[in-house]
Amino acid sequence: MSDPLLEVSDLQKHYYERDSLLDTVLRRDPTAVQAVDGVSFEVREGETLGLVGESGCGKSTTGETVLRLREPTGGTVTFDGEDVADLSGDDLTAFRKRAGIVFQDPYGSLDPRMTAGEIVREPLDVHGVGTPDDREERVRDLLERVGLSADQFDRYPHEFSGGQQQRVGIARALALEPDFLVLDEPVSALDVSVQAQILNLLDDLQEEFGLTYLLIAHDLSVVRHVCDRVAVMYLGELVETGPVADIFERPQHPYTRALLESVPRPETAEADREITTLSGDVPSPRDPPSGCRFRTRCPAVIPPDDLDIDQSAFRAITDIRDHLDSGDLDADDVAAADEWRERVPDDVPPAAADALDDAFASLADNDEAAARERLRERFETVCERENPRLGDGEREAACHLVD
Amino acid sequence: MSPRTWRNLKREFRRSALAKVGAVLFGGVVLVAVFAPLLAPHNPTAQHLDLEFLPPLGFSASRTVSTTQMVNGSVETVQNTTFVAASPSYPLGTNGLGQGVLSRVIYGARTSLVVGLLGVLVAAVIGVPVGLTAGFYGGNVDDALMRAADVMLAFPSLVLAVSLVGLFGTATIEVPDPWVALGLAPNMPPTFTIPGTVVLVVGLVNWVWLARIARGEALTVSEEEYVKAARSIGASDVHVVRKHVFPNALTPILVLATTQVAAIILLESSLSFLGFSGTTLSWGFNIQNGQSYLAEAWWVATFSGIGIVLAVMSVNFLGDWFRDALDPGVEGEGGV
Amino acid sequence: MSDDLLRVRGLSTRFFTEEGQVNAVEDVSFTVRDGEVFGIVGESGSGKSVTALSLLDLVESPGRITDGEIWYRNPELADEYSGEFVDGDFVDVVRLPKRARRALRGPSFSMIFQDPMTSMDPSVTVGEQIAEAVEVQRRASANPRSTRSRTQGYGLGSLLLDSVVPTREYVSDESWARAVSLLEDVGIPDAKDRAREYPHEFSGGMLQRAMVAQALAGEPDLLVADEPTTALDVTIQAQILDLLREIQDERDTSIVLITHNLGVIARMADRIGVMYAGEVVERGTLADIFDDHVHPYTRGLVESVPDLDDPDARLDPIEGSVPSLLDAEMDDRCYFADRCPKAMEECLEDPAEFDAGDGGEHTAKCYLADREYDESRALADGHFDEEVGDGE
Repeated sequence: MSDPLLEVSDLQKHYYERDSLLDTVLRRDPTAVQAVDGVSFEVREGETLGLVGESGCGKSTTGETVLRLREPTGGTVTFDGEDVADLSGDDLTAFRKRAGIVFQDPYGSLDPRMTAGEIVREPLDVHGVGTPDDREERVRDLLERVGLSADQFDRYPHEFSGGQQQRVGIARALALEPDFLVLDEPVSALDVSVQAQILNLLDDLQEEFGLTYLLIAHDLSVVRHVCDRVAVMYLGELVETGPVADIFERPQHPYTRALLESVPRPETAEADREITTLSGDVPSPRDPPSGCRFRTRCPAVIPPDDLDIDQSAFRAITDIRDHLDSGDLDADDVAAADEWRERVPDDVPPAAADALDDAFASLADNDEAAARERLRERFETVCERENPRLGDGEREAACHLVD
Repeated sequence: MSPRTWRNLKREFRRSALAKVGAVLFGGVVLVAVFAPLLAPHNPTAQHLDLEFLPPLGFSASRTVSTTQMVNGSVETVQNTTFVAASPSYPLGTNGLGQGVLSRVIYGARTSLVVGLLGVLVAAVIGVPVGLTAGFYGGNVDDALMRAADVMLAFPSLVLAVSLVGLFGTATIEVPDPWVALGLAPNMPPTFTIPGTVVLVVGLVNWVWLARIARGEALTVSEEEYVKAARSIGASDVHVVRKHVFPNALTPILVLATTQVAAIILLESSLSFLGFSGTTLSWGFNIQNGQSYLAEAWWVATFSGIGIVLAVMSVNFLGDWFRDALDPGVEGEGGV
Repeated sequence: MSDDLLRVRGLSTRFFTEEGQVNAVEDVSFTVRDGEVFGIVGESGSGKSVTALSLLDLVESPGRITDGEIWYRNPELADEYSGEFVDGDFVDVVRLPKRARRALRGPSFSMIFQDPMTSMDPSVTVGEQIAEAVEVQRRASANPRSTRSRTQGYGLGSLLLDSVVPTREYVSDESWARAVSLLEDVGIPDAKDRAREYPHEFSGGMLQRAMVAQALAGEPDLLVADEPTTALDVTIQAQILDLLREIQDERDTSIVLITHNLGVIARMADRIGVMYAGEVVERGTLADIFDDHVHPYTRGLVESVPDLDDPDARLDPIEGSVPSLLDAEMDDRCYFADRCPKAMEECLEDPAEFDAGDGGEHTAKCYLADREYDESRALADGHFDEEVGDGE
């Protein structure tokens, strides 16, 4: 097992809104968007770590923060033994040569006014590498290496196809001979057949230059194909980590399972494959749920020990509780309240039925607080009390079911 | 400027009649301004009091002179009305000092053009960096700079002009005229006067607009992924702004700058009109000069007025041409 | 097997641009049946989106449908009109008078697009936009001849008045109620409250559901969905696909589903058309396309997708890139030949749509459907090199 090239520990990136001078004058508290909230992982030399999650989970932010393109608000990032947040001046410049990034949007990441040659040469110019002639030659080399022809150096980005544009981006990232690359959704914006070309290229380059990759993606089939280890992210936190085959074949965290299930397979059996779709949307990172952040959508929320109830009923009850807590369900809306009540099947244990009846009675009496409290006392789950955290091991899942 | 820019400019030029008109007219103004000493038939500053108020060719004017005379022992006022004919050597007539209107109009083009271009330069040198910095850094820097800009905007331009002239005087710069120095235009004024304070004033008045545009563009461009990419390879902020933000923000700045030239020419005319200029070879000054006898000697003011109209119009057409050509349209037409 | 609802025959749509003529869709034929999902698979530049727009007469200048017919089964319409463009219960939509064609949008055909955020007016509440669609349908069915009455009350005058006099209702109560009920149908919780919210207050998945609701307002026979889940996360995508499936089952609506995602197609489609460079290169059932494909492009597509359950050591991409659709640059040959590993001499001539021989409807626009691959007639590797200008 090789050494970790990159070590991320409890990384935090919060964005503060309502933080301007005017807000301070008006005494408004800044709200924190918890884009990345305590993420820890390591990337070993020569390997590809996949950081997977859906939009808004904070994976891109993590990637950029790790490279110090954004300043972390907490935690540490250590690259080859050095704390990245401490770097400045020449040290920071040296770091920039060793760690680069390939962006998601192939066209957007290229300056439309510069030719491909100028784009690839810019890093060399900025760092004063070699003579101008040396640089020209290196540019030609790089263009060839990524599968373009060297005489395309004087073409502008809009003259290339998406796949070719991404190749230019990769050439640029390689110009300074980095050790480590963050690949931020490098193929998401490309057609399927082109994706395959680029993935193969990245594979070849990794072997040829001994590169270490942090691959950020939402497309699980890409991740499976390319990565050695995987970390799954949800709402700013890591929920599961492990070797790729393990994660894909024996996922432990309910979110990972749901994620894997949701991906449609390109095969004829797909039409009949049953999946459990997650309900609802991802909660806002401004106000993440207490305890386990996935609990509002989890198909396996843990009921209290002393209650013997089946999952779908419990899910319905927790949905009611969530809506009540967030204010979406209130005393005025009798019809909605009835509807929610009806979602809970009748065959729940008497203790549960009683609690529900009491709560809805309070609601009818306009006493929302009492309703919430009654439900909480009967149905409070460990998932809302404690946020399960990842351990330090090779194979971890942040879920009370796994504890 | 990328080849695509040239292509777009050429294409729009072919398409638009107004662009052609603008280019021709403005080209004309430039030629007149550059070759002024060679084109002007007379020295615009030389006075010939016996040739005052000659009408332009094709017109005649009458002059009534009242003289007091002794007629048969009593003092009487006699009105003598004579007809004054136009002189071919003064095709646009003369003013009250016998100076050729045509020559003065020609030299006036120089002043307007010089002040127009220099003024825009001053405005750009101040405004563009301010705007780019504000847009690129955002936050408090942006707030501070834009409030400063707002303060500038609150100043009426003429008040500013008056104060600055009061402070610095007219700060004229005498530039030797190359044609005269080469001996090609022996009778013309040997130097050309650049009204320094006026240039400063118009620059100070107009930088805010350029700053605003630059800031807006910088805000957008700074969010683009290629700016992030530049930072990821270790480029300094200065490098990023210089190589990425500025070139990509250039188009709207350029378009605004051309319309500013027009505004500046007008402003200069007003300032000359009010006497703040420091040079009398200005269209504005001619108008001020000639407005008091508009009824009898309309030509003194009018031709300079026409000059202003043509210059401003031509610059506006050019601005429209740039904007239509360089504005990214649907289906990727235009754009730099 | 259910009846045919839509028969597209020889559809061609061309764009007459400054740079020249672009053949976006060329001689495309397929059939959609009642209550089925017909999937159109293709990458960018394949012409799939333009095909969708052509079905709904949404192609804008400088493009237009230049050839072909779209036969739509509608007995009432067939009765109303007569002539060359009526055939039994079928009417050729392309040749219908413009007003009648436009009238089909809503009650007969409707469409949902890729990015819900840009397909909705950000300044109007979601409920109102759906109610508006309902209202338009209601007025149209009340007075089918008059397009004026259908759009009455929606002009500038109404808009100005509404902004000044807030109590004046933009849509009737009835339409509003129906809008809320549609939102409930598509699975939006608290529909009554959410209908009063603006598009930016909805998440991507919710908004796409709202778009579906809007598309269902006229109770169409055919719903065209152009990349409806491409902009959505995978778990949300699963929800939306479920919703579309529900609509198909409960309302017997046919769906034309356009996507580049083979997994989505596999999950949803009954029958599929694979498009490349403006043509349908292979057509058939799900099994035909995934298991018995004939055309090398189909094969390339299927093989270049990394499989979740079976990671290979190496992906097998299709080399090269999509050809230009400019008429001036297109030869009269098989458009895939320059990237095809099995190109033969005959491929220099445009292949016909051959029957792929399974006895069903499986066809492929490829000589390999008609004969075995013969290496002796293979085209040399560098045969198309002057055409390929890029280093790929």
